[in-house]
This record gives sequence, C-alpha cells and structure tokens, in this order.
Amino acid sequence: MMGKQPILSLEKITKAFASNTVLNEVSMNVYPGSIHAVIGENGAGKSTLMKIIGGIYTKDSGEICIDGKSVTYTSPSQAIAAGISIVHQELSIAENLSVAHNVFCNREPINAFGFIREKELNRKVAAIFLKLGVDIDPKDRTANLSVAQQQLVEIAKAVSQNSRLIIMDEPTSSLSDKEVDYLYSIVDGLKAEGISIIFISHKLNEVFRVSDCISVLRDGNMIGTKETSETDMNEIISMMVGRHIDDLFPPKSTKITDEVIMEVSGYTKHGMFENVNFSLKKGEILGFSGLVGAGRTEVARAIFGADPIDAGELQLHGQKVKIKYPKTAIAKGLCYLTEDRKLLGLFQTTPVKWNIVSASLRNFVSIFGFYKKAKINAQSIEYLKKLDIRPFNDEIQVINLSGGNQQKVLLAKWLSADPKVLIVDEPTRGVDVGAKSQIHNLLRELSEAGIGVIVISSEQPEILGLCDRVLVFCEGKITKDFGNTAVTQEDIMKYASGVSLAENRGEKE
Amino acid sequence: MNRIKTLPKKIGTHNLALITINVVLIVVMASISPYFLTGANIEVILMGFVLEGIMAIGMTFVIISGGIDLSVSSVLPFAAIITGFMLKAGWPPFVAIIITLISSVLVGFFNASLKNILNVHPFIATLATMLTLRGLALAISSGANLSGFPESFFFLGQGRALGIPFPICVFIILALVMGLLLKKHRYFRQIYFIGYDPQAAKVSGMKVERFFLFVFGLSSGLAGLAGVLAASQYGAAHISFGIGSELRVITAVVIGGTSIVRGGSGTMFGTVLGVLFMAIIYNALVMSGISTYWQDVVNGIMLLAAIFFVEFMKNREKAVN
Amino acid sequence: MKKSNFGTVDQTEQQKSKLIHKLFRTREFSLLIVITLVFIVLAILKTDSFLKWKNFEAISNGMVFDLAIVSGMTIVLILWGIDLSVGSVLALTSVLTAMMLRGGVPIFLSVMLGLGAAAACGAVNGFLISRYRIAPFIVTLGMYSIARGLAVVLTSGYYLASLPKAFVTVGRSKLLGVPLSIIIIVLLLVVLGILLKHNRFFSQMYFVGNNPKAAELSGHDVKLVLFFGYVISSLMAGVAGILMTSRLAMGFSGFGQLAELRAIAAAVIGGASFSGGEGSIIGAALGVILLALINNGFVLLNGPPDWQQAVSGIILIVAVGVDAYRRRKERRE
Repeated sequence: MMGKQPILSLEKITKAFASNTVLNEVSMNVYPGSIHAVIGENGAGKSTLMKIIGGIYTKDSGEICIDGKSVTYTSPSQAIAAGISIVHQELSIAENLSVAHNVFCNREPINAFGFIREKELNRKVAAIFLKLGVDIDPKDRTANLSVAQQQLVEIAKAVSQNSRLIIMDEPTSSLSDKEVDYLYSIVDGLKAEGISIIFISHKLNEVFRVSDCISVLRDGNMIGTKETSETDMNEIISMMVGRHIDDLFPPKSTKITDEVIMEVSGYTKHGMFENVNFSLKKGEILGFSGLVGAGRTEVARAIFGADPIDAGELQLHGQKVKIKYPKTAIAKGLCYLTEDRKLLGLFQTTPVKWNIVSASLRNFVSIFGFYKKAKINAQSIEYLKKLDIRPFNDEIQVINLSGGNQQKVLLAKWLSADPKVLIVDEPTRGVDVGAKSQIHNLLRELSEAGIGVIVISSEQPEILGLCDRVLVFCEGKITKDFGNTAVTQEDIMKYASGVSLAENRGEKE
Repeated sequence: MNRIKTLPKKIGTHNLALITINVVLIVVMASISPYFLTGANIEVILMGFVLEGIMAIGMTFVIISGGIDLSVSSVLPFAAIITGFMLKAGWPPFVAIIITLISSVLVGFFNASLKNILNVHPFIATLATMLTLRGLALAISSGANLSGFPESFFFLGQGRALGIPFPICVFIILALVMGLLLKKHRYFRQIYFIGYDPQAAKVSGMKVERFFLFVFGLSSGLAGLAGVLAASQYGAAHISFGIGSELRVITAVVIGGTSIVRGGSGTMFGTVLGVLFMAIIYNALVMSGISTYWQDVVNGIMLLAAIFFVEFMKNREKAVN
Repeated sequence: MKKSNFGTVDQTEQQKSKLIHKLFRTREFSLLIVITLVFIVLAILKTDSFLKWKNFEAISNGMVFDLAIVSGMTIVLILWGIDLSVGSVLALTSVLTAMMLRGGVPIFLSVMLGLGAAAACGAVNGFLISRYRIAPFIVTLGMYSIARGLAVVLTSGYYLASLPKAFVTVGRSKLLGVPLSIIIIVLLLVVLGILLKHNRFFSQMYFVGNNPKAAELSGHDVKLVLFFGYVISSLMAGVAGILMTSRLAMGFSGFGQLAELRAIAAAVIGGASFSGGEGSIIGAALGVILLALINNGFVLLNGPPDWQQAVSGIILIVAVGVDAYRRRKERRE
C-alpha cells in the first residue's frame, strides 16, 4: 500500500486564527483504499485540518495535492468536485424531506425543464444503499430515522458525490455498540470500493480496530503517522501527550484537611453521566480530566442546578441540599465558571463593571433593592486591581477586552459572589501565558483560604501542575480517582480514552 | 386495503386531518342550510377569499423559507391604486398591469434586501414596509376612491372562463403550477433546505441570498396581482382594500400545516386546504353579520391554535421516533 | 502574584474626563441635539405658529399616550421581545373602564379594575412567553386581535359616552398651568426610569435581554423578569387607555390604532434594539418628542396630510435600517 501514489497529500499546511497558530506545517499522506485515523487531544487542530481539506477554511500556507496534482480551492463545493466530502459530527439533514432528497441534496436528476425525476432519484439512491449494504427506504422521511441511520444517509450523500475521500468527524459519538459495529462494516465496504476514509476519533480501541494507519496531532503539529499493525496503544498515547511542563505552577497545597466541603453521590443523567461520586476536601484543588464529551461540564452544570438530574444527592458542608436552579446554588455559595465565557459567562456588550457584579447583585443593594452605586464602583475597581485587568477601565464593554482579560473579568464575577465552592471550567483556555499564571496563583490562594476549588481542564499540564487530586472522566463515568498519588499524562490519557472501559467490557477483536 | 394504509404517508397526516375537517365543516354547513351547496353560494364562498388565496400561495413560499411577509396587506391596495392611476391616465391596461406587477416585485426585493444586507428580521422589515406602503398609497390617492376604468379591464375581476369566475381560475392555475414546481422542481425544492438550515444550505453551495430575493419577490408580486384583480373586480381602487388580510393569509398557510416556528416544511396542497377552510369559515362569519373586529378575534384564535397544533404534531412525530 | 500597577491619581482623572466624553456619545445626547435642531428650524420657519404656548400644549397633549406606551415597549424591547398588543389593550381598558363608570361603579374602583384588566392581558402574554417560551411576536399578535376584538364585541363598536364628570375633569384639568395627565405620565416615566437604572430587579432586564442564558447561569430570575416586563407594558397601555378615556370623555374600541408601531419607532429611535439589552426611558421619551415635533412641523408646514403615514413609515424603515447597520458595524469590530 505504501508504494502507491497517495490520493491526498498535505505538505506543510499552516493555519492561524488571529495570533493563534492552530496548525504548524502539518504534512500527511492518505493512500487510496485506506482507513486513516487522525487523533489528538482537544485543541490539537484535527477539526481545523479537516475543514481545510474539506474547503470550509482556507490554508494560510502549504500545499494540497490530489493524485499528485496541486490543487487550491476556496469553497466546500470545490472540494466536493475534487472528490472530497465531509460527514460532520453535527449532521446537516433536512428532516422534512425524504432520504433520497437528502442524499442528492440539490443535485437530484432532472429533466429538461428542471423537474426532478423522482423514480430515477429513488433508483439511484437504492443502488447506493445496496452497494453499501444499508437497509433504508429511500422514500422514507428522514425525520423517522434514528441518528445512526441519518449518519448513513450522510455517508450515502458522500458516495453519491463520487467522493474518493470521505472525512468522518467523530462518527461514533452518538452511536450504540451495535450501531458502531454496523458503521464499521459500512466503512470496510467503502474501503473495498477503493474509497479512502479519514476519521477523527478519541476512542483508541476503535481506532486500533478499524484503521490501517494512525496520524497523531499535538498542539497543531503532526507528530507522526504509524501503520496500525506496527504500533500499540502506549506508543500512540505517548505521541499524543509527550510535552514539557514548562509553565511554573504554584506549589501544591500544604493545607489539605479531611474536612469535606462538598460530597456528590450517585449523580446520574441518562445519556450524559452515570453514578458520579466524589468528595471535595477543604484546602485541595480537585481536577476533572478527560476528553471533550466525557461529561465533566455536564456534571458541573448539574451540580450547579443549570440542568436537571435523574438521580443523585448533594451535600454542602455536611448538609444535604437540593439545587434545581443556579440561583439556589449561588445563594448557597456554589459557583460555576462556564466553559464558554463569550456566550454563557459574560454579557459581551455590557460594561466590565456590570459584568463583575452580575452574579452578586444582591450584595450591592440597600432597602427596596436600590443599588449602592459607590459600593459597586469600589468592588469593581478592587477586582480590576487585584486581577490586573487591562485596560484599567470598568466602563468599557467586555467585548473590547482580550481573551485573557475577559477571563479575569469572568473570575472577578464569581469571586464577587463570595463562593464557598468554585468550579472553574477551562479557566485558562485562550489565555496568554502571563494571565494564565496569575489565574493559577489566584486559584491556589482561594483553596488555601478554605474555598473548595474544582478545576475542569483539557490541558494536561494544568491538571498535573495545579491540582492536588485528579479525577478522570470517560463517557460519563469517573474511571479513575488518582487520590494523592503521582500521576503522569500517559496515566490520564489511558483512563480518558476508554482503554480501561474497553478492558472492562472485554475488547473485541 | 393497503392503498388506504399508505394514504397518510402519501398525503401527510396533517393534510388528511385537514381534509377531514373540511369535509365535516361542509357537511355541517350543508345540514344547517340547504342553500349552502348551490353553485351560486359556492362561488360566493370562494370569491370571498380568492384574493387572500392568491396571496397565500406566495406566503407559503416565504414561510417555508423561514421568513414572514406582513407587507402583502399593503401591497394589495398600493397595487390597486397605482393601477387605477395609470388606467385613468389613459394607459393601456396591459401596460399598467405589467408596471404594477414589476413594482410589487420590487417591494419584495426591498424586503429581502433588508434581510440580506442589513440582517433585519423579516417580521420587522415587512412590518415597516407594510406601514410605509399603506402610507404611500394613502398619500397618492388622498384617500379617494379611484374609479372610471376602461371596460376591457373588467374581465380580469368580473369575467368568467368556462363558467368559473376569472380570479378563481387564476388561483387554481397558480396553485397547480406553483404547487407542482414546489413539489417537483429542483430549484424550488431548495426552499426546504434553505428554510430548515440556511447555514448548512450555504455551505452546500446554495445561493441563499438570491433565493430570498426570489421568495419575497414572489410573495409581493402575487399580492400585487391580487391588487390588480381587486381593482378589476370592484371597478375601483381604495386604500381600504386588503386591510387585515395579512393575518388571514398567514392563518390560511399555517392551518395548511406550514410551520411558522421553524422553516423547511409545508406544502401547497396544505395551503389550498387551509384556504378552503378559511373561505368557508369567513363566509360563515360574514353571513352571520359579526363585525370585522370579532372576525379578527376568531382569526387570531385560529392562528394561535393552528400554530400550537402544527408544533404539537411535530413534537409527537419526534417523540415517536 | 504579580503586583499590579493600579490606577494613580492621574488615571482616575483620566477616567473622569472619559466619562464626560462617554456622555457626549450616548444616544440620548445625540437625540437631544437633533431635537434642539428641529426645534430651532421650526422656530425660525414658523415663528408665529410654532412658538405659541397653545402649540406646545397641543403637542404635549398628543404625546401623553404615546409616552406611556413607549415606556412599556422599551422595557419589552430591552427584554429582547416585542409587544404588539399595546394598542388593543389600550382600547380594551378604555372600554371596560367606561362600561363600569356608566354602570355606576365608583371611579376609583373602575380605574383599578380597568388597570387590573390591562395587567391581566400582560400576565397572559408574560406567562406564555416566559413559561412556554413561545415567540413574543406570536403571543402578542394573538393578544392584539383578541383584546381589540373583545373591546369591539363589548361595545358593538359604539362610543361609550356620558361618563361621570369627576372622571372626565381629571383628563382635562391642569396643575399650575400644566395638564394633569402630562404630570401623571412624566411622574410614571421618572419612576420607571429610576427603577430601570437603579433597582436590582428592574435592571436585571438588561442582563436578561442581553444574554438570557448567561443571566440564568448568573442566578437571575429570568422567567419572573420576563413576566413582569410584559405586565408592565400592558399596564402602561392601560394607563394610556384610562387617560384617553378621561380626556376624550368616552370609551371607544377604536382607540390606540397603530399605537404599537409608533411606540416601536420611538423606542428604536430612542436607542432600544430588537436584539435586546439596550434602551432607556429617557431615550424613548426623546424619541416620542422628536417624532411629535416632526409631526407638528409637518402640519405647520402644510405638508399634505395624506403623506403623514407614509413619512412615519419611512422614518421607521430608516430607524430600523440605521439601527441594524450600526449593530452590524459594532459586531464587525
């Protein structure tokens, strides 16, 4: 297989958004009829790379060659014309239309007047389904299909576009085990037709089951491509995580007590997370690690009262509490700093000052609910100083601040609410190195002062450097509580990528 | 037996329900009054709603594409009045009609451009256009009743073809043609993709902005046609034509099963059934002598009920899966 | 932790002058300038007719009802919604109050019950919008037809006159030369304005309208705030209805036609946005004043009366368009 000419050849692809380099001279070859997995941590650049290949983004520099010939395209339709299509994680199906119409979306066979030849359309789709081994009625309404079936419709769409390369983004994230098996048999079928598949996945056991070769991305760099048969999980994992912890973190806690600030038991939400149990001790920073979609944010939101749960109990300072709304949580001193600061955390077109007090308005009113403006101003200035927020102006709209400063405003907002437990979700995402360090130090100060701190993060160095104890999540369950033992990145990745789960289930060959 | 079982799938459960409702309605009305099913009465019923019916054809497109067009109720009198002016100034009817239709379509282009270029929500945009157009029509006509049109013009509104009043013929032909195009023509079918997920449609390469120009132009153009027919039918043009018609038209389309909450669904067949339903109801309301305001109340309630029903059916279908 | 360079005296001085600059750039200030300009132009062009006190009285008498309604509309717009039913609620309140007055119900009770009915309409709107998340334009569109229809049905379209003298005088009496109705409305507006800017519960509306999801996650009572917003809007329409009934000495189901559209235009001119989170009572009031001045100028300059509505419509389109364009520019930056 290696000797043949690659169907797709990427040469030093580079892409940056604003000042952020997302892909750095990435090179990769995909061969005809091969199933090629691309894996990497969150933010490694997989999604961006696929979008460049698929014509949704344009590369800044580098070369894309199809069948040895250099190509440039600027739109998805051009990529499709070149034989490449993407099956996105978020399916773009028009529910009200029939399966056949979705497969041939706006490309249905027509007669001279532009009218669709319905019989021919259904026939063509039936033929594609037959070839793939799929059992769906082309005339069926897409709304009636299951998610797995809708995905097959999207794959059929790619086949109908005469694609020779199909990119699948996390194809098994919403599928049951049986549906996953079925999908892979379809993929094998496509391979037999000479179609190449690139698929992005976090699930290492699946990757090893199905792929011919694996490419690993890390922090926008292509670390390497290996034949699946010639490598093993450990090697791939170390390729994924191997990096230096060169950030200086504050010293670990010296004040961890046995006093339990928060106790979570049996938290379950079907389809999201199952039987989550843990306790948060005074003086420690607890870390939630895991891959995107593992359920960490969902658990945090549920604890905070933003989402309902099916079962579970919560205790704060030894007292049982029922939290159904964020309002209650905040009143009890439980605060959650959202993962998405732009859309969920801050009021972008509102001044900094008002953002800072937005979660703690009650602290700044006198009788009948009228504001003590002086107190608000003082509090706002205090946080601007304390967190070194720049520019030093609390009247400007938050949208004008840099990412790091916006994050600091968000922190100020929750600190202003006098939390007893503070859950921060991706506290330093998109934040520059200097601000990162400030935020880490601040979190450590908080825990030393007796405030419970939980850090949810996808950045391994942050988890390892900042947290005293790490919980690893995978597919909605806590797969490992590392306690106070020394942890390595490989350890975390092992439990985050479902290796242990697969071991429990008994890996199928 | 199998043929009957596949009927819901072929026609759609909503349409089936609507057909049933219409049949029941007709039976009830016929039993109340033996006069109901006479040719003359049927003609009265249909003519009483035919202009709204024509506008509903265009409105169907707009709502499926995810928007709404409130300006139709002002395009109608506006078109009637400028046609009236041109006719009184001696212009040949044919020319006057063409110019009126073009102007009406341009109004639609304006609405679409407010959405495309300035990102104004169609509701706000067409609301503003509606107010402005009615004001312009008032200004041009000074509130007067224009009349004195040439004989040749009256055929459109008062003539017959094969014994059927011409406006009804226009409606039938338009409904058939537009319905066929909507169901079978590839260009028109884009509307289902664009209405359901405009972003995804754009990524798939569909020219979404151009399509909105087409859809709003169609809606306003048909409203202009309705205005021309009104002028011909009454032999006059007055600013009061078409008041409140946007509510009636939208209700007819929503009753027909088109979802107003999310684009991407709806059929012309459903709209026709909805128009039929509204025609019968409105005839009953007018016959009973209830004031127009009371009619508006009933209309408002029907619209809300229809919206709830359509969304309820959608959710039920989702839950079943 | 790095020691930060916090503001020195110089920086706070800088901040102070920046504040003044900020004041100059507000929508309210620009409106004030435009109003002043229009005022000056009209004063020059039509010195005799424009500058007469009687003219100003006429202008302000006409503005009173719009001022009431626009404040409610502003609140609803801040909440990222819209209330199309205000004109109809005005009419319904007028009719109900007149009916009770004619039926011998004490004035105070009639007024309270009338306002209660208005509040009930707002409660229905608010309930459907906050609890069931139905789009505001659909809900208030429904109330628009139902409220007006009810008003007509109750009166069969007739005027309800012969109202108690005591009630009617309120609408026409003056306090120190200023019509009582204007004083009442201005007081209400001042109260609302203060509440919006200084009261915790009311100012939450800005947060809720700006970003309802973030507001929920910040512990705000999104549902309650939405509910109250619509109740207030309908209440203000009710107030306008009662004042109109008193001034014109009759209850009529035809009152308040197109009131919602004028209110939207004035509110948007005054700085409110269809995407929520923005707007002020002062701005809205200035918007009403500006439109009233333009209207007055139109009449005084012998503008063809038939063009009045067309001009209003064009102003609305321009206001909406400019607003949308400004927002697009802001987003780009």
